[in-house]
Amino acid sequence: MPTLDELQRAFGASLRFGEDGTIAEAIIGGGIAPEERLRIYRNTAQSVLADSLRLAYRAVERLVGRNFFDMAAARFMRECPPRTGYLNDYGDAFADFLAALPSAAELVYLPDVARFEWALSIAANAPDAPVLDIAMLADVEKEQHEALCFMPHPSLRLLRLGFPADEIAGAVLSGSERAMAAIDLSSGPAWLVVHRGPDGVEARRLDPQAWRFAARLHAGETLGSLIDSFPDLDIARALAEQVGRGCLSGFWLGSTSESLRCSGGAA
Amino acid sequence: MSSSSTPKAWATAPIPATAGIGLRFCHHQPVLDERPSVGWLEVHTENYMGGGRPLAYLDAIRRDYPVSLHGVGLSLGSAEGPDRVHLERIKRLVERIEPGLISEHLSWSMTGGVYVADLLPLPMTEEALAVMCRNVAHVQEHLGRPILVENPSSYLRYRHSPIPEWEFLAAVARHTGCSILCDVNNIFVSACNHGFDAHRYLRALPPESVSEIHLAGHTLKDLGDGRKIRIDDHGARVCRDVWHLYDEAVALFGPVPTLIEWDTDLPPLAVLLDEAAMAERRLNAARGAGNADAR
Repeated sequence: MPTLDELQRAFGASLRFGEDGTIAEAIIGGGIAPEERLRIYRNTAQSVLADSLRLAYRAVERLVGRNFFDMAAARFMRECPPRTGYLNDYGDAFADFLAALPSAAELVYLPDVARFEWALSIAANAPDAPVLDIAMLADVEKEQHEALCFMPHPSLRLLRLGFPADEIAGAVLSGSERAMAAIDLSSGPAWLVVHRGPDGVEARRLDPQAWRFAARLHAGETLGSLIDSFPDLDIARALAEQVGRGCLSGFWLGSTSESLRCSGGAA
Repeated sequence: MSSSSTPKAWATAPIPATAGIGLRFCHHQPVLDERPSVGWLEVHTENYMGGGRPLAYLDAIRRDYPVSLHGVGLSLGSAEGPDRVHLERIKRLVERIEPGLISEHLSWSMTGGVYVADLLPLPMTEEALAVMCRNVAHVQEHLGRPILVENPSSYLRYRHSPIPEWEFLAAVARHTGCSILCDVNNIFVSACNHGFDAHRYLRALPPESVSEIHLAGHTLKDLGDGRKIRIDDHGARVCRDVWHLYDEAVALFGPVPTLIEWDTDLPPLAVLLDEAAMAERRLNAARGAGNADAR
């Protein structure tokens, strides 16, 4: 008689890899073979995960078709199963999985579309957090401005993609042949910021310099260091745009021995 | 708004002994627009563990309705214990929503650190009972309040499973102080699939422990060669046999909060409300019968 842990591991191996042998011996048939009974659970588990991926990767599914998507999702589930019952977190490795999938190699832009859609999904599901109110900076002494560091909103992701994945996703989901035909795959890297603002999830393109500034700002670099690194950038304007769009959640003074942390405003 | 900075527009509201409906995403806006006359709402805990729009809807709905949190991902029956990160997420949502009830299942979904996306059956053994009781106690201690445990539908039985499910469930309640969420449809489905007596199951549950009832539709699947199995797909109206079993449950347990669940092929909100009205009529009939008996 197996222990509970042994039985559950054997059941898991059956549902994930189709290895029914061990667990089937522990199950009563009664007119319906154990393998047939296990298939009911396997079908449910797989369809729940496939639907979860489908929800996050709508454009990818449109690009490859439902049958191919389901095949890819089934392989992905075996190789990268979920580690938690919170399935909004499931699927972060799907883009890299697609990049390594030989049968999808012709669609060279597919992994980038997946990366873009995953950023949208993260933005939609990220925890609520305060949005930095510019008025809170008024209390910071002028001589401390260069020590300011900023916390990004948890929904924010910066993407540098080789293909125009945002345009591809938009075109394929709109169903517009004309929009698809207008896409220039060789148009160069797309520098994107994706986050959830007051009006919902938004994705915008930045110019490369503004993107690099945002990347270092969100990594917690001091404002003084950023001013030194981007002499040609209108820092005040770039920072005001970050604050105005709700990309930041708070700030702290990075170069003081006792860092002052502050977050606030509306979530 | 962040939970820490937002003054609550509500206090914890108990779930009334009336009919409620399971709230799914497509009915968020209709519920806010129509403010239907329904006693309470139940949501899947996992659908609100993130932030953004779903949680904003739940906040808005919670201002006007008692809400119950019903989880599917905690894996109370896992030998390796429930997922700690998942439990912490539940706790954060409980603190924000202040639900009237919190429920999970008599099943498992985690093994070897991998989540299997279904409610898998436990062998009804002394070892599994000890694991289940340990995990339920841990969850209750972490949340600081009792939970409800629901009987799932099942499509297989283990050769070594010596304790009847009804005795197993009653023992979990007795040992941990948790309540029982009696899913009448699940009892019917499992009774048909495994050939046990659904009435006996109901009569074996301790009435004082049953704090909620679930009702849902299911389908009869043809496996060929005359073989059939009932699948709990929550995709249809409650069938007549389950309504009759529900009447029996209410007579045994008294009027308790009763939920209409619907998860696949979701119909318009009006259909769910119609099913809830049917449950309400039966609850009222039981109240009337109880009053007559008292006289």
